[in-house]
Amino acid sequence: MSTVFINDIEIEVGPKENLVQAAERAGVEIPHYCWHHDLSVVASCRMCLVEVGEKKPDGTIAMIPKLVPACQTPAKPNTVVLTNSERVKKAQAQTLEFLLLNHPLDCSICDQAGECYLQDYTYKFGNAHSRLNEPKVQRVDKYHIGEQIALFTDRCVMCTRCVRFTREISGTSELQVTNRGSMEEIDIFPGEPCNNKLAGNVVDLCPVGALCSKDFLYKKRVWWLKTQNSVCQGCSTGCSIHVDQEDNRLYRLRPRENELAQGSFMCDEGRFGWKYVESESRLFGPRVGKLQVASQHHVAHVGNGSHASGNGTMVSHAQVALNELATVDPWPKVLDETRQAIKSVVDSGADRFAVVLSPMMFCEEAFILAKYIKSVNKRVMLALGVVPLVGEDDVYPKGPKGEPPAAGKAKFTIRAEKCPNRLGVEAVLKHFQGEVLRFETIADRLNTNKLDGMYLVGGYPDAWLDESMLSKFDGLSTLIVQDFLNSPLTDRATIVLASATFAERQGTVVNHAGLAQEVQQSIRGATDVRQDGRLLFELSQRQGMYNAASIRTEMAKEIPAFSAIAGEIGELGIQLFNTVEGKSA
Amino acid sequence: MNFEPVLLRRWGKPNSQSLETYRADGGYTALQKALAMEPPRVIEAVQKSGLRGRGGAGFSTGLKWTFLPKDVQGPIYLCINGDESEPGTFNNRVLLEEDPHQVLEGIVISGYATKSTTAYLYLRYEYGDCYRACEKAIQEMYANNLLGKNILGSGYSLDIYLHRGACAYICGEETGLIESLEGKRAWPRIKPPFPAIEGAFRRPTVVNNIETMACVTQILDRGPEWFQSLGIPSEHPKDPGSYGPKLYCISGHVNKPGLVELPLGITARELIDQHAGGVWKGRTAKAVVPGGISMGFLSADELDTKLDFVGPGKAGCLGLGTAAVIVIDDQTSMVDVLYNTCRFFAHESCGQCTPCREGTAWSAKILARIRAGQGTLKDLDTLTDISNSIGIMPGTTICGLADGAAWPIKNALKKFRPEFEEYITSGRRSQSFEVAGSH
Amino acid sequence: MSGLTEVAKQKIRDLLPCYPSKQAVTLPALHIAQEEARCVTREAVREIADILELSPAQIHDTLSFYGFFKDEKHPLGDNRIWVCRSLACMLRGGDELLAEVCERLHVSPGQTTADGKATIELAECLGACDGAPCILVNDKLRLRMTAEAVVSLAEGRA
Repeated sequence: MSTVFINDIEIEVGPKENLVQAAERAGVEIPHYCWHHDLSVVASCRMCLVEVGEKKPDGTIAMIPKLVPACQTPAKPNTVVLTNSERVKKAQAQTLEFLLLNHPLDCSICDQAGECYLQDYTYKFGNAHSRLNEPKVQRVDKYHIGEQIALFTDRCVMCTRCVRFTREISGTSELQVTNRGSMEEIDIFPGEPCNNKLAGNVVDLCPVGALCSKDFLYKKRVWWLKTQNSVCQGCSTGCSIHVDQEDNRLYRLRPRENELAQGSFMCDEGRFGWKYVESESRLFGPRVGKLQVASQHHVAHVGNGSHASGNGTMVSHAQVALNELATVDPWPKVLDETRQAIKSVVDSGADRFAVVLSPMMFCEEAFILAKYIKSVNKRVMLALGVVPLVGEDDVYPKGPKGEPPAAGKAKFTIRAEKCPNRLGVEAVLKHFQGEVLRFETIADRLNTNKLDGMYLVGGYPDAWLDESMLSKFDGLSTLIVQDFLNSPLTDRATIVLASATFAERQGTVVNHAGLAQEVQQSIRGATDVRQDGRLLFELSQRQGMYNAASIRTEMAKEIPAFSAIAGEIGELGIQLFNTVEGKSA
Repeated sequence: MNFEPVLLRRWGKPNSQSLETYRADGGYTALQKALAMEPPRVIEAVQKSGLRGRGGAGFSTGLKWTFLPKDVQGPIYLCINGDESEPGTFNNRVLLEEDPHQVLEGIVISGYATKSTTAYLYLRYEYGDCYRACEKAIQEMYANNLLGKNILGSGYSLDIYLHRGACAYICGEETGLIESLEGKRAWPRIKPPFPAIEGAFRRPTVVNNIETMACVTQILDRGPEWFQSLGIPSEHPKDPGSYGPKLYCISGHVNKPGLVELPLGITARELIDQHAGGVWKGRTAKAVVPGGISMGFLSADELDTKLDFVGPGKAGCLGLGTAAVIVIDDQTSMVDVLYNTCRFFAHESCGQCTPCREGTAWSAKILARIRAGQGTLKDLDTLTDISNSIGIMPGTTICGLADGAAWPIKNALKKFRPEFEEYITSGRRSQSFEVAGSH
Repeated sequence: MSGLTEVAKQKIRDLLPCYPSKQAVTLPALHIAQEEARCVTREAVREIADILELSPAQIHDTLSFYGFFKDEKHPLGDNRIWVCRSLACMLRGGDELLAEVCERLHVSPGQTTADGKATIELAECLGACDGAPCILVNDKLRLRMTAEAVVSLAEGRA
């Protein structure tokens, strides 16, 4: 640690910090565009100029006569920094005037408005007017720059963060600077757009409205958005994210910086992969009783007021009952019947019933369900659901031929394991079952007719059972499926418990490296959809309301592996296990 | 003044480019002398001579060499800056076209002194004849054991590669040159690290100018004392002095434009009157560029300024620069002259730092508007403000290009402001022959 | 448009040992490509990128910085004539020279004459101020130029 002085504020800074970071510790903002802590230092935007000196042992201060970029200057012991002197203010205002010379000032139609560093810095550090008396340079927008990204060329400040990202983090190098001087622009090589799996990050990196997400473009003014902390569910990397919503609708996911998790970025699979939250196949309410349909292709949702339509005629006594109770909460009755269904199979032979916990579940949910089932009968078998594996881990930065980086050089990994919480659910299973039974064990028992009933939790955004497997479920007398999407499996279910997506739930996931992080609820689900935690809370007839923190406290008491996460776990999460093998930390 | 040219003494002689001619005139004896010394002694000799780099910045050559780390494992690179592009400057072109061996001998000596393993001669594309002369000379050197393995049995080995540029002024900035050599856009690097610590290919690197190399040859041949005997001695402890011969380029409105070699310290007036045949057409000089357009302007009453390393600065110019003198006669509009310099820097700004990228383009646009008769007096304040806020002197840019862009504006608006005001208020316009181009 | 010939590719590969990084061969490779085809085609950029183990965007980034290299839509004429417009030449009629040459050849700077014989370019200081106004014909300097002389060169009469 060393001591530096920022505008007379004495502050301790860590090694390898620059003056932007040191000032931030002191609560002083040094404006900057080109500098980003995950990218190489280029010191070219010249927005972060400060006056710098050194405090000598005798107390005198020797200042360097010229301005220096704070991003390029290490915070050495006894550095004195002035960020608010007249010279600094003049340089800041001048740099902003330069940056805005050819800027179109089209904030009224710019997606970045409201979270734009040109706006913010001009407000804080700039002049209200420009002395430019010449025509502005007009540039052509480049919608073709990537499948997910558009370039509004004339808004660009040439910070080159995006170019450096593709060269240093993704390694794919699709972006370039073209031309020279005031004619330069960001571009791609013709016909080779920026479509790498991390490309969406350049939108976040862009400090202005130049690079925009086509998915989000013109959908919502950012100041209406409300943000919750969450964790990406796309793979076991478990990127910390922000979920931006307004009026109960999701608009975008953004990476939330977390050195304990993924760092500063997220992949496009995660960033844009949340659309299943709004899928037409969402289950809108619970159902008891098997579907009787003329055609299984069209299955109307129960509980959302829509009736059977098209050529799929659906008749079930539950639906009739629910229609009668259209304004009444269907859940107490459904959960009653669920308990009875479980009990009746278990009573006929505990080993003829099995419960499958999905690796998509949060720890709290897995805990409540496992504890409940074991309270019904200790001999009921608990198993881990299908762990989706797609290809190999995808590691960045890529080399020139697309090869992964050398060992120890990885900057980002999209993992093959496409679920967020295998480790957490396994820890629950180890506690209650003594071991982690794979889904294959259950499948074997199903194949050999050793099961009469099953409680299956899904929660996968994509199909996860193949056709040959599905028919095996037809032999079960009781099939309880907890899921949020209609599927061939829910079609076969005797009870469907319409559950929620991550955006509608609250709970804990443990990523590949054993980091426990909290997913916060961002939106409410449809009226008759139950968040999994509450659903299970009520199924197990617990008293009170579901609350992730209090369940964690309970878990931490009962399961040593979770002892570190009692109560609140903070924004960045807590390291729970120290290896990917899930050993207790 | 009677001064026998040293650097230019073979200029114009028959076959001046050939190894045979060069050797017959005593060539490569300096290299033999150097190879007989320990490398640090060669550096000492160059330091003792007081040689300051001839590329524009005027930094002590020997001192620069001492910044290389001691006991380096692995390669050290010597980059020779032949990207001479400062408007008005052509001394290196003459040296390489006429007498490449003198420069190449200096490169081998400098390589030996700095323990460089490879030298890259970065040559601007426009100098095709230089390229061909050097290519031939390098072949002759390899054939005569003056390059390659174990040069003249000394145990020292060096390869020189010619690397052609592609028409970009910024490649003359030493770290811009390194980036260009590495195959990237020539965006100058932030310092530290300086090239001596981390330069070409992230290795310790020395970057030196062509004329500097010719001086090194002569210093080793004639001794540092000879070099010290020429020029203007140090005036005060912080001034390292202006020693040795210098190639002065003279162009513009003189009767005899050309290149002349003189001890450092001749005045602009002497240069024009005694070595360039005076101002053309019987006119007088209104302004004189002392060392390439980056340095700004001397006014008519500053012509007795000594063109050494401190003289132009005393007159408010940026410095001696490349000692390329451009004479502007009394019939020329300073508005047109300033527009020309501003347009040049707007065209050549590498575009990396915001203040330079935007400031150079903006100032050129303002001057274009003034020349179109649409200027206002306020424009002059804006121009002054731009010129004061771009460059490494105020600290707002990475390299000195913007200082070079700023100085002509500062000097012109300080020394010739009434002319600008008169131009604007009288509603004058310049007859423009300028044609729009693709770049 | 076609890419590099095998001869050009081999010339590029032969330069690799001269530098400690492959990327350093970028400029020499672009020169080789343009000398061969009078422009640098997209395919040539891809092939250079492949040899130097870079992305085409990285090669194009460097290429476009210099303003020296022509794309396949703007190939050079038989000769490329650069007319200097920097201060020393301007003072001795460089601007007028360029204007007259362009007018007589019916081109703007950067364009090639209709007969494909010459591309006229404007240049910053060519380093021949002692012979202002000067021009560069391909890579050979010509000093003390008149419009008549430049037009003769452009029309292949000199």
